[in-house]
Amino acid sequence: MAVKQKSSSLENIFHPTDYFLESDIFPTVWCPGCGIGTAVYSFFEACKEKDIDRDDLYIISGVGCTGKIAEFLSLPSCSVTDGHIIEKAVHINEHNPEKKIVLFLNNADFLISGGKEFKKARRKNLNILIIYINNLIYTLSRDQAFPMTPYMRTSIQGEFEIPFNIPYMACSIGASFVARWTPIRAGWMKQSFVESFSVIGLSVVEVLSPCLIYDANKGRILDPVEKMAFYNDNSEIQFWVPIKNLDIRRQKKIIIGKFLDKNRINDD
Amino acid sequence: MIKGQKVEVFVLKERCKGCGICVAVCQTEVLELSKEKNSLGYRHPVVINADRCLNCGLCEMFCPDFAIWATIEKESVLG
Repeated sequence: MAVKQKSSSLENIFHPTDYFLESDIFPTVWCPGCGIGTAVYSFFEACKEKDIDRDDLYIISGVGCTGKIAEFLSLPSCSVTDGHIIEKAVHINEHNPEKKIVLFLNNADFLISGGKEFKKARRKNLNILIIYINNLIYTLSRDQAFPMTPYMRTSIQGEFEIPFNIPYMACSIGASFVARWTPIRAGWMKQSFVESFSVIGLSVVEVLSPCLIYDANKGRILDPVEKMAFYNDNSEIQFWVPIKNLDIRRQKKIIIGKFLDKNRINDD
Repeated sequence: MIKGQKVEVFVLKERCKGCGICVAVCQTEVLELSKEKNSLGYRHPVVINADRCLNCGLCEMFCPDFAIWATIEKESVLG
């Protein structure tokens, strides 16, 4: 794939991550204050820390807001319809076994249409990193609830079905690295990406991204700073907790942290 | 950052969407939202207290639109 080369004399004028980005088509399409941009930034900061060049990467994204990530990158990337993403990763891994494959997935790609595919990633024993950007709602189909929605405007009293527990699901399948962060902990998130590069096998990082259309109680679009403060107040960091208690409920605080790392000694 | 070094803050105002996270995150109150708007109709941040910047990198880290960053000036590094 043809990749654009930037002249080195202009290095200091551009943003530090512009080496990985297609900077001609900015600004991005996401809402002001969306957490997707922060997740992309901290991933490429992790790449810079591990000295990974852009030709060593292959990035696949899905549909919707998260699928737009592939448009803004200057490295080999593509966006695939939901339900066929892991298959695409299998094919690329067969032909380019030296490349690090990174998937940016949203709710539909990871849980709903691509739910059955997630098991395939372990069965094929792929060495990939899945970044699951979870905004707790189907945004583009206007406030529709989905299996991880704890509460929302169309069901203020809370959903009566039990929400999914993504870290438990990933651990039971046999992932090597499982973590969950919010964009307000961007530094921790970057550190998790750095650690996941040295893990062999399937690694899953869940990013609880603030979605401005998902408004909890108030029936209006929230201020971005208010939304970040909501995630800051309602989450707490706990490392190595039992993974059975990690589902997102209305009454509990959201537990974020690192839950599984096969590189760690004395960890089963 | 070492004492005596100067920090320069860059803002690409055509990329900004005016979410205000960089202003809220900055601990030393370097930034402020401007009164004029960019071509998309958003109020972008402007630097009001350039001397106070500590080069902590928080605004760069939390900006979802890749629009702001800070570096140490090269002349102050050499001197």
